[in-house]
Amino acid sequence: MWTLPILLLALTILLSIPLSRYFAWVMDGQLKSPGPIAWIEARLNSGKQNWKQYVIAMLAFTAVLFVYGYAVLCLQPVAPLNPLGRGILAPSTIFNTVISFMTNTNLQHYAGDQHLSNFSQIFFILPNMFLSASIGFCALTAIIRAFRGEALVGNFFVDMWRVVFYIYLPASLIIGCIFMHEGMPMTYASERTVTTLEPAAMGTDNQGQAKPQNIIVGPVAATIPIKMLGTNGGGFYGMNSAHPLENPTALSNFVTTFAMMIFPFSLVLMYGRMLGRIRHSVVIYCVMLAMMIGLIWWTVDWDTLRPNPAFTGTATAQNYEIADASARRGRRTITLPAVASLPVEQHLGNLEGKELRFGTSAGAVFAAVTTDVTCGAVNAEHDSLNPIASLAPFIGMWLNCVFGGKGVGMINLLLFLIVGVFLAGQMVGRSPEYLGRKVGAREMKLAVIALLVHPFLILGPSGLFAATDWGTKAESNAGPHGFSQIVYQYSSSSANNGSAFDGLGVTYGFNDNANPAPEAVPLDIGTGLVMLFSRYLPIIAPIAMAFFLGRKKVAPASLGTMRDDTATFGFLLLGTILIIGALLFLPVAALGPLAEQLGPIPFGG
Amino acid sequence: MLRSLTKSLWLLGFAVVLTCGIYPLILWGIGQSFFPFQANGSIVNGPDGKPVGSLLVAQPFTKNEYFWPRPSAASYDGTASASSALAVSNYTLRDRVARSIAPVATYGGGPKKGQPVAADVEAWFQADKYGGQSGIVAQWAEAHNSLAQAWVTADPTHAAYVDGWSKAHPDIVADFVKANPGTSQPKAGDLAVVFFEHFSKDHPGMFPSAVIHKDTKGSDVTAIEPVKDGSDIQSTFFLMWREEHPDAQLQDVPADYVTASGSGLDPDITLENAEFQLDRVAGQWAQDLKRDPAQVKREIEGILQQHVIRPGGGLFGEPIVNVLEINLTLRNRYGAPS
Repeated sequence: MWTLPILLLALTILLSIPLSRYFAWVMDGQLKSPGPIAWIEARLNSGKQNWKQYVIAMLAFTAVLFVYGYAVLCLQPVAPLNPLGRGILAPSTIFNTVISFMTNTNLQHYAGDQHLSNFSQIFFILPNMFLSASIGFCALTAIIRAFRGEALVGNFFVDMWRVVFYIYLPASLIIGCIFMHEGMPMTYASERTVTTLEPAAMGTDNQGQAKPQNIIVGPVAATIPIKMLGTNGGGFYGMNSAHPLENPTALSNFVTTFAMMIFPFSLVLMYGRMLGRIRHSVVIYCVMLAMMIGLIWWTVDWDTLRPNPAFTGTATAQNYEIADASARRGRRTITLPAVASLPVEQHLGNLEGKELRFGTSAGAVFAAVTTDVTCGAVNAEHDSLNPIASLAPFIGMWLNCVFGGKGVGMINLLLFLIVGVFLAGQMVGRSPEYLGRKVGAREMKLAVIALLVHPFLILGPSGLFAATDWGTKAESNAGPHGFSQIVYQYSSSSANNGSAFDGLGVTYGFNDNANPAPEAVPLDIGTGLVMLFSRYLPIIAPIAMAFFLGRKKVAPASLGTMRDDTATFGFLLLGTILIIGALLFLPVAALGPLAEQLGPIPFGG
Repeated sequence: MLRSLTKSLWLLGFAVVLTCGIYPLILWGIGQSFFPFQANGSIVNGPDGKPVGSLLVAQPFTKNEYFWPRPSAASYDGTASASSALAVSNYTLRDRVARSIAPVATYGGGPKKGQPVAADVEAWFQADKYGGQSGIVAQWAEAHNSLAQAWVTADPTHAAYVDGWSKAHPDIVADFVKANPGTSQPKAGDLAVVFFEHFSKDHPGMFPSAVIHKDTKGSDVTAIEPVKDGSDIQSTFFLMWREEHPDAQLQDVPADYVTASGSGLDPDITLENAEFQLDRVAGQWAQDLKRDPAQVKREIEGILQQHVIRPGGGLFGEPIVNVLEINLTLRNRYGAPS
């Protein structure tokens, strides 16, 4: 039960220490490239850039990646490696998918096993996964260099190449071999066809013949390592890491979970190493770790250690007081009869939507971790989690800094940190400082803008879609859970996470699909725009902030200076995150998961 | 800006060569040389030497001689993985689980300990009283419109039966159209609730179900007719029966026997679930082979123990067994089921 999360955290913490040293070594340019690689770097090097040039280079590259992705997906029907003859996706779905993979979100409004050919899996998914993951990494590196007071923050293209080549590629190769050993397919073929052991049970086709079972295979072991290491999360198969060919055993699940945690963990320590403030980064690391442990514990406790309340019933009739303008005193009571329990042995917790081979608590642990590190892979159906347990994935995405995605999680934490330093400064009546430099009005403005983009882009569209047909017609569950489904979709989009409550009708499918989900197009466009804005604004504003802060003079530390490497500072940071998070999102949490758990189960007919 | 664009193109070019060409090729080479079985989908061969399935992908079993996998929201279709995505608060989840429990529900205590519940559900259904009011089927359709509609759309013969009924009752259809001006040409699914309300009045204690007749040439013909008993009634109305008999002690069913997995293709069941099915499986093989059931049961129990899988070496969870692996072993040892 608890062995899995404890082993996972222990191994990740242990390995993040040497890896952070390696990262700093690579990014500080101490690693000298051998001949051919040096040639490639020379071709890419456009000289040292200041922060504006760095950002422009990032945006230019993003634009190129967007065009490339659009082209590849449009070419699917005519490209090779498509023996199953997959056609072109709906235009809105292509729009959504290209943005989704470019922004490291990997929200999937299609199903990989049904809608993509191996050509698209290799030429669209793979490079996007490597490159979009590297963009966050490079942004953090630029911020660190700016904090060090460097006016020129390095070259974006060389940084990108070094991250892809020296960091993601070797790690992906090693993990890919482990995955293949455990049973993941790695072939350029698309399908295996078998006649099952009891053919009649498969059903019959139009000619009355027993249907064969067609099993989709492909270059799975190439996509999944980088999917996890880059905290991308977009599955080869529709059901992502719950699919037995994408996650064959308990060991592969362990490595999968580890792979999505290791880089975000290491990057926090890299931040400290590159700034020469390792103790400060350890404090941040501990704050993040405390939040992650809390969220894992919460999910396991509510989902694995407790039964699915749909089957346990309620022994007595329940009274609910609801608002009713026509009733006396504006409220009336409705009584719902008792609900009988069903004879289900539930000592393994809620098993609806869980796979058995990973271990008892694996689904709950994964749900918490994948939303903390904004990976978005899933190994269980989040829609079917016990409602109050699903609060943890929500919180992970709302805070978006419990380690967070590579680079961007650390960047988000810096925003909370600046606000925390400001609050502390107000309390003691000193002008706030970070890294020995005074935090001025301009830096505060940039930090708060970047911080508020996220709640704005979650709450605004969620409200809009919950109030209109765009959302309500897409819901697959009644009552508060339907609302949760919409909020989850936008939380996931804005946090660049990519997991989903899969019941929400978002799939248009192929362009010639006669029966698409009715509101797929508005959801494609809505979430697509949210992913785009919530990715780049919170990267660009902090880079600017770091530059303006970094060029200030370092004031010598005095007795009155607030130290940033103590437990006190850790609690200040934790408190700031939790208070701001609660202020922003508690009302939504009450309307969604909390209302579902505390309200009638089952809800409606 | 232009310089940024050209450098971007260079970076994209290098990255595509590396990540789309070299990287998957290296893994493909390693996979096909060192792990050819896994790299091609873990396909195993059946008794006839032909591919019979992937050890990692669940396939359906319905015969009593075989262990049954978990319910699948994907209908065991290897090209379309799916979960049920049913929320805890969704009535459909309770209904689906109750339907899968119904055929195997037994009393766990009291005077009828060990006996199946099904006969009592039928007797209760025929009395046609729920919550003190008559008309179980009408109440069912009114309380759960979506279930009534699901029955109509589940099978073309169901829809045809409702169409036949609505042709014979144009006045009722006309009333429906008057009450629902948005639906001027109601389909069978739209009329589901109205249909069941009238059906309940016309055939108290009955439910429409498939019945097999011999036609004049002696071959089987399936027709939908009102029936008083049978598996449809047992499974559809088990949940309502349970609501009226909350205190009846029932034998618990393993959770993974009735819950759908995340992928719809979970190849395993818990050992506990296998033990739960063991009596049925062993009993059927013993009958097929005309052997002593206790002895067959011991043999199959041995097979289960031999093939048990402990996730993470037992560190992470409950022992499980792979359904295809076990059933293939049974097939190879005992021959084809009758």
